[in-house]
Amino acid sequence: MANHRADEKRFLDERGSSGPLAPNGLNPATIMEKPVRERIIDCYFWKDQCFGVNEADIVDRVVHHVHFIGGTYGDAQRPSPFLCLAFKLLQLGPSDDILREYLEYGGEKFKYLRALALFYIRLTRQAKDVYRFLEPYFKDYRKLKRRVRTGTSLTYMDNFVDDLLVKERVCGTTLWKMPKREILEDDHNDPLEPRVSPLGDIEDLLESDVEEVEHQRDDSD
Amino acid sequence: MQHLRAIGQTGEVKRATAEEVRERIERIWEAMVNEKKEDVKTLGERLEIRKE
Amino acid sequence: KNWDDDEEEDEVDDTDDVDLEAEYAAWKLRELTRIKRDREAIEAAEKELEEIERRKNLTEDERR
Repeated sequence: MANHRADEKRFLDERGSSGPLAPNGLNPATIMEKPVRERIIDCYFWKDQCFGVNEADIVDRVVHHVHFIGGTYGDAQRPSPFLCLAFKLLQLGPSDDILREYLEYGGEKFKYLRALALFYIRLTRQAKDVYRFLEPYFKDYRKLKRRVRTGTSLTYMDNFVDDLLVKERVCGTTLWKMPKREILEDDHNDPLEPRVSPLGDIEDLLESDVEEVEHQRDDSD
Repeated sequence: MQHLRAIGQTGEVKRATAEEVRERIERIWEAMVNEKKEDVKTLGERLEIRKE
Repeated sequence: KNWDDDEEEDEVDDTDDVDLEAEYAAWKLRELTRIKRDREAIEAAEKELEEIERRKNLTEDERR
């Protein structure tokens, strides 16, 4: 418990065999696709900044080096520091307690730390836990830079959460297919609670408000 | 050995607890806040100098 | 910072709390759009189920 292997070679050599599985039953060493893994362990950021790093050092690395989310970028398909650190988390396998620190206490201060934890949770946790961990951050509208092969754009934390819940591929990684929310809500043993929007009861809002907000937007343009 | 450990070549890294993670967050945050204060101060000092 | 050596000067600025009201309004629109989308998806799925039920209940003649 106190120590764990940080040797990437070992992590990579043992893929598919003896390592502990993630809570969702996937092998952390193979959650990212092989070409991406190879790019990561080949890149300078990985070699220089990701060795001998523990769960606390992750905070340091994110704050100082993660300035955008993304998978691989540029013509060289360079893996982003964000992706490298996600890979590092796959290797470290942090507990839920630590993830909560990343998300909440740390996430309030450092938005890219929250984004990283959200991404990692989507990759490794069981579906219900993914919904429970991720959805509260629909209320977080801080800006995030996102870098893709062709350039940089702006997104928001709430959009990133949505991407993680509805898209098939995010940040150069194919997301495992989760059951739909409705199915989990119908589970008799441990039903997933219906999602409550930070906007409150939206029954009434829905009809009028989308158009209203759109109008307001048009006016301000 | 220390160096090897530092770069992870020994294959062993000390696992951090949630408390240690929180402490690290606090430490980095405080350092950043102080740095910002410094920046403001040096800007203030520069303005002072300019006034003279 | 060698791993960032091809960092171009990009136009994207991710500074928060520049215009709180506008940032909140934009978020509210995104949130409503999401909720609407999810709801429509559920309604569509329900309709499809109903249609399957309806067809099942048709007599041979009606089906032709």
